[in-house]
Amino acid sequence: MKKINFDEVFKKYMAWIILLVVLILFSFTKNFLSFANIVNILSQNSYAIICSLGVAFLMMAGEIDLSVGYIMSLCSVIAGILNVQMGIPAVPTILITIVIGMILSMLNNFLSELLKINRFMITVATMSVFQGLSYVISKSVSIRGFSDGFKAIGQANIGKIPLPVFIMFFLLIVCSILMSKTYFGQYVYALGGNSEAANLAGINVKKMRYIISALAGALIAISAIILTARLGSAHSNTGPGTEFTAITGILLGGISVRGGEGKMTSVFAGVLIISILTNGMQLAGLDTYYQFIAKGIIMLMAIGIDVYNLNRRQVVRKSAK
Amino acid sequence: MGTILQLDNITKLYPGVTALDDVSLSFEEGEVHAIMGENGAGKSTLIKTVGGAIRPNEGTITVNGKSFDHLTPTLSSENGIGVIYQEFNLVPSLSVSENVCLGNKLGHRFYKDKKQMNAETSKVLEELGMEIDPNTMVSSLSTGQQQMVEIAKSMIKNCRVLIMDEPTASLSSAETENLLKMVGTLKEKGVTILYISHRLEEVFQISDRISVMRDGKYIKTLSTKETSRRELIKLMVGRDIGDEYPKRDTKPEDEVVLEVKGLYGQGDVDINFQLHKGEVLGVAGLVGAGRTEMAKMVYGYLKKDKGEIYAHGEKKNIRIPSEAIANGIGLIPEDRKREGAFLEYAIDWNIPIMMIKKASNGLFVDRKKITEIVDRYIKELSIATPSAQQLVRNLSGGNQQKVVVAKTLATEADILIMDEPTRGIDVGAKQEIYNLINELVAQGKSVLMISSEMEELMGMSDRIMVFYEGEITGFVDRENFEQNHIMALASGIREAA
Repeated sequence: MKKINFDEVFKKYMAWIILLVVLILFSFTKNFLSFANIVNILSQNSYAIICSLGVAFLMMAGEIDLSVGYIMSLCSVIAGILNVQMGIPAVPTILITIVIGMILSMLNNFLSELLKINRFMITVATMSVFQGLSYVISKSVSIRGFSDGFKAIGQANIGKIPLPVFIMFFLLIVCSILMSKTYFGQYVYALGGNSEAANLAGINVKKMRYIISALAGALIAISAIILTARLGSAHSNTGPGTEFTAITGILLGGISVRGGEGKMTSVFAGVLIISILTNGMQLAGLDTYYQFIAKGIIMLMAIGIDVYNLNRRQVVRKSAK
Repeated sequence: MGTILQLDNITKLYPGVTALDDVSLSFEEGEVHAIMGENGAGKSTLIKTVGGAIRPNEGTITVNGKSFDHLTPTLSSENGIGVIYQEFNLVPSLSVSENVCLGNKLGHRFYKDKKQMNAETSKVLEELGMEIDPNTMVSSLSTGQQQMVEIAKSMIKNCRVLIMDEPTASLSSAETENLLKMVGTLKEKGVTILYISHRLEEVFQISDRISVMRDGKYIKTLSTKETSRRELIKLMVGRDIGDEYPKRDTKPEDEVVLEVKGLYGQGDVDINFQLHKGEVLGVAGLVGAGRTEMAKMVYGYLKKDKGEIYAHGEKKNIRIPSEAIANGIGLIPEDRKREGAFLEYAIDWNIPIMMIKKASNGLFVDRKKITEIVDRYIKELSIATPSAQQLVRNLSGGNQQKVVVAKTLATEADILIMDEPTRGIDVGAKQEIYNLINELVAQGKSVLMISSEMEELMGMSDRIMVFYEGEITGFVDRENFEQNHIMALASGIREAA
């Protein structure tokens, strides 16, 4: 008979357990558990969840990217220029924007490979470059007047449910299957677990890093497009900060900063925890600046849980010796 | 001579595991006392107890007549105990003298007196017969030299008992010789040495007495002069394992499965050899002689400058490992933990990772096929584990190595390059690996075995190819195996043509 290990169960479903606790706490708030409010929370946060899926690929492969928010900012502004200023229809605008997201993300990877330093350090530099570029090409004004087709991506409903929610769930399922059922997913874990061993195991680590970067870039761009379409305007301020939500949500989802583990569905739960808490803080009328403090503390807690899990595993190892 | 260190009834419990079970041992002043046992026998726990790194649940430690129920690192060092752990405790960015004097208050309280530090360090280094400039940065020293610095660090604190945990595990042959000489020097000074090692050869060479541990228990203390390797192994493993190197009935065939012609690169010059079907070709040489580089070039992991590789009679262009794997070439890397295994993942994740793409329909993994393969290899290689979901991290060294081998075998490779396949695993597990090699060869596979243990090479190989500074200095057939001859080749003394 298989013994149930509560520690393991908790670790595996930590995000869902915390989400449940948060839901129960907020269920005392009036209307919180209503269909409309739940749809609203999902719809408001679809973009953040999609972006987190992209960042999660990177983190599972053992990389961290800080420039995500500014990639989104650039994608948003470029979509604005294409659709509004150049009058390019919605579909080509979206496709071009996705390609640009992929290129920017792959650029981070290229620089990290060229300079032989981890992606984290590279993106400390490139985030500044992307931010500057975004302000320069948008002349730091917001671009309005998107075509209806473009706005539909963020604003249309199917039945009572907004389109972004469908897109989000679709991408969540695709990413989840990719990670759990395909050899590609196993390769991502291999990179995060031990890239040296992955290389010697015949996995083309260099190529994999580009593929993962491209995939992450595409998801980040889609996230930017949905956010821009929802707002109906593009601005350099659109996007930055999302990397923070993403990384915190991913850590809550049980993916380690050291890479190599975690599930996409937990990422969904992790991001939702932050969304609901943010939503709650807004409802409670907490000042934005206090929200920053609260979010930082949540992130520290998420890091704490991650480190605790790592240490605990080492203790288990020791006693097994 | 009297007893300098005595352990009485030491017990250390970890959740679910008794690491030390009522161990009593005593050490005489000025002796070299080896402690042997398989992995998990409790050697490390024992020395950590003496070094003050862990606190035993029960028992007393008596140093120089003073009794303690536990020690702390400071207390231990104040009482003249020094420990050289496998992982060095040196600060790479500081100089030799700064490291040696670290934590040792010299001169003024607040600023360091460099002159005095250098003088004291030089004195100790000289006494130990080492020629290292105290101003050298530790990061620029070789592993062997760093170890010397560790020893100097203990000696400057007037240590009377020096504990060494597998000191030669990462040293080259020349460095090992040096270290063993140093142990002799220390012994002459009356320092007691507790020497932990897996290597029978050196233990017999330097120790006065040998204590054997098994499963956390003290088994027996033997006088080195009055015992034999066979008796020692029997005590360590707990049963008579017969020949150290199991006999093989099969003979290599004439068919050449791997041929390397004119291989240059990574410091290797003009490497030519043939590997026959069913053959174990040993590769001897000193650390840094270019053996691993050769293996990794053949495998496509390191870039070669030029040279041709023929697998199964056909010329192959191998630029990356996946191309080597596609041609039936597998590499079991030297560094199991860093290059071989995915330690944080389960066994059933590790074994199929190299062939998972082949076992997929398009992108999707065929779970049934994978489970079959995992079960098959756990059984065939008798990997000892409660379940296939066990993390590789939690396995013993020998079983970790089996997982790494299984991972490569699952690709159906028939040309296996094994780089130090038994490094850091204990006697019983070593024998299982040897048996496995024999089985593989019997199945018609061929093995290129790189090893730094001469006896292992002579015990297992059909032929031995010797490397010296990037060149092959000779091939020796089984009938002509002789340690001195091979050592001579490995030291660059070529055969008289």
